[in-house]
Amino acid sequence: MSGLSTSIADLARTPLVVALGLILALLVLGELLSPGFASASQIMRLLIVASILGVVAAGQNLVILGGREGIDLSVGGVVSLSAVIAGNMMQGSDAGIIPAILACLATGAFFGLLNGLGVTLLRIPPLIMTLGMLGVLQGLLVVVRSGIPSGLAAPGLARFVTQPFLFGVPGMIWLWGAIGVLMALLLRRTLFGYRVYAIGSNETAARMAGVPADLIRVSLFVFSGMFAAVAGFCIIGYSGSSFSNVGAQYMLASIIAVVLGGTPLSGGKGGYTGTMAGAVLLILLQSILTTLNIEEAGRQFAFGATLLVLMLFYGRGKALRG
Amino acid sequence: MPRLRLEGVCKRYGATVALGRGDLSLMPGEVHVLMGSNGSGKSTLSKIIAGSVRPDEGVIECDGSIVTIPSPRAARDLGIAVFYQELSLAAHRSVVENICLPGLGHARGLFRNRAEMTAAAEPFIEPFESVLGEGFGLDVPVGRLRADQRQLVEIMKTLAARPDILIFDEPTSALDRAQVECFMAVLRKLKADGKSIIFISHRMDEIFEIGDRVTIIRDGETVRTSVLADTTMEEILRTMTGEEATGPAAPAVSAAVKTPQRPTVKLKVSNLVAPGVNNVSFEVAAGEILGFGGLHGQGQSAALRALFGAAQSRSGDIEVGTTRLTGNSPRASIRNGLAYVSGDRARDGVIEGRSILENTVPIYALKNHLFVASPRSLGAKAQQALEQLQTKYQTLFHPINSLSGGNQQKVVVSRWLMAPPEVMLLDDPTKGIDIASKAELFRVLRELAAAGMAILLYSSEDAELLENSDRVLVFNNGRTVRELVGDERTRYHLYHAAYEAA
Ligand SMILES: Nc1ncnc2c1ncn2[C@@H]1O[C@H](COP(=O)(O)OP(=O)(O)OP(=O)(O)O)[C@@H](O)[C@H]1O
Ligand SMILES: [Mg+2]
Repeated sequence: MSGLSTSIADLARTPLVVALGLILALLVLGELLSPGFASASQIMRLLIVASILGVVAAGQNLVILGGREGIDLSVGGVVSLSAVIAGNMMQGSDAGIIPAILACLATGAFFGLLNGLGVTLLRIPPLIMTLGMLGVLQGLLVVVRSGIPSGLAAPGLARFVTQPFLFGVPGMIWLWGAIGVLMALLLRRTLFGYRVYAIGSNETAARMAGVPADLIRVSLFVFSGMFAAVAGFCIIGYSGSSFSNVGAQYMLASIIAVVLGGTPLSGGKGGYTGTMAGAVLLILLQSILTTLNIEEAGRQFAFGATLLVLMLFYGRGKALRG
Repeated sequence: MPRLRLEGVCKRYGATVALGRGDLSLMPGEVHVLMGSNGSGKSTLSKIIAGSVRPDEGVIECDGSIVTIPSPRAARDLGIAVFYQELSLAAHRSVVENICLPGLGHARGLFRNRAEMTAAAEPFIEPFESVLGEGFGLDVPVGRLRADQRQLVEIMKTLAARPDILIFDEPTSALDRAQVECFMAVLRKLKADGKSIIFISHRMDEIFEIGDRVTIIRDGETVRTSVLADTTMEEILRTMTGEEATGPAAPAVSAAVKTPQRPTVKLKVSNLVAPGVNNVSFEVAAGEILGFGGLHGQGQSAALRALFGAAQSRSGDIEVGTTRLTGNSPRASIRNGLAYVSGDRARDGVIEGRSILENTVPIYALKNHLFVASPRSLGAKAQQALEQLQTKYQTLFHPINSLSGGNQQKVVVSRWLMAPPEVMLLDDPTKGIDIASKAELFRVLRELAAAGMAILLYSSEDAELLENSDRVLVFNNGRTVRELVGDERTRYHLYHAAYEAA
């Protein structure tokens, strides 16, 4: 029973390591099933898709870390709305990029703020508050879309998202990497990060230690709205134009990525590095199921079953306290 | 034949040796005291017997035959019940449900009705009837009870398993004298019935009162077992620390006498009204330690919490130094120079699962308006504060849960020592802290007081309160009924004042 072997066993049980291992396994499996699956260009494409999910999941991750049943179901609505706003403000011209990104960020921050205020001041449970907000956003989307033409991405944005930018890697992936580094710094090397974990772990104790819990929680929702807005903006670059309700899939996917990455829904522990791996894993899983040419129902089934198995892996917490 | 015998029991967590060599023999009808400083391995030993921690090595014998105790359930089948230091209660379940929880597993199925459960719980509540205090009720969820009431429920739960071997891991740390006396009566009865009891406490008077033999653990190794009647407190302390005696453990209260200069009022409270506090006024001078006395839950704790801004509502005038306190929140109070140490560390103090560093620095960071957390510079400062109280830890980056109970409390106290306040509100602050460190804590507090801090102290342990306070305000029913000064600060006067108004 040396210390080394136990620490390796512990390591093998951390979600990040499990996720990375599974990513490798899935890549090998994909390559076996359909040669070319794990080619550099394919991996790059997967990473672009994963990065958009990853950006949404960054905000989701923060809200969940803050605890008290924190969850943001409105991210999908913000993604869609932001995509529409971005497309219409750019209208295929590079000059529109800056105003568009500013407008998107402001929109995301606004809806995030509403969520945060509802959760803290009005004490509405996050699940209800953000679900309600999702409804509001979807309604808004219908109104907006009926009044204006579907927008068009600026060529500069499309290049940034899809074309190699530095060392053959698209700017979008660099952006995601940068967000990853910033999130890690924010969570581990700032007092803000300490406070997020503190309110997520024991809010009473955190308040007694002078942590402004409500303020922090509001800011987490604002972050979440803004990250979702950035993702919506980038989606336009990937798909060229905004089609209806592009954001819908991100609600569930962002939550799953966070949980796969080792942040439990109860909050207070975990981090963004795991979530990034979770996002890649999720996209990879979807991609493999698509490659297998299974029809939609079977795909959904396999997807759900795989997730349940994975959760079983992670669910092995400490059995008994005390 | 011993009822329970442990030989060479050992438990490691990675590189930490929690228990190096645990030896113990427990006779029928015996109260066996386990003593040792914080982090010496007492709780680990208890949990091994309880089946909630698996030993790496060692032999356990029950009634002469070797057993393994792989689970709490196995322990229960052997007739063992444990009072856990950090309690094992379900916060959202009622008092009755918690008491009957251990019995629910095997008895007649899960579907016992409420009346039956209440009837089953009653005999275990009854001995404590007179000391349960306000807010206690059979159907009250345990999460809503005071710290001492929760400890009583954990005691009842332990008793309700009707065990032959009982282990009490610091059952009295939040109890006041009256409650302790009820508990002692229960222990004596169990002893007369031939039950075997392991009793852990950092309170010397209790140990001599109830114990038959004492086993002393130092750094995870049992060093000696002796008959309590043949030993002295000094001898036990010496064996615990492995050092020669360096005078009395608790320093004499001479510090206060040495500061007779004109006192400046540091905290002035007028007409404080809050839940559980009924129009309380007093002043504390810089350099002074003002004690809050009286029976449990008469408003001492409530007043301290209200001052700190942790109560729902508050009215009255509070002046810290020359500034009036505005804003009813802990954050505002901290900004105005207040500090509050709660005895209920699981609820108010410990940030579970986070590192020792993160648990130590929040106040310092708040006061210094830090945004960037540099583990190196913060770590150096945190280490200094933690070492003042001889906190035992591996590294600052280990989670706080890896510490023993007393050491967790030291972390919570150190939080405030890193950035000393103007006024320190201590609400049973030494819960779980060992004798030597307690003396050290009060030495540090005296030093801070001498440098101009004012201190309010509430303690569930009378001796601690009387020894360390310059004056004592006695509370009853949310009001202050008397002030004890000078020679009046004795247990007799304290009780007299506490009961006369009742
Ligand atoms: N889960 C754990 N992981 C790592 N170390 C642990 C763990 N549990 C206990 N320890 C270590 O084992 C040692 C003994 O702890 P234990 O809780 O038995 O002490 P104790 O004698 O009960 O102290 P106290 O008087 O403070 O309650 C401590 O140094 C503690 O840090
Ligand atoms: Mg202990």
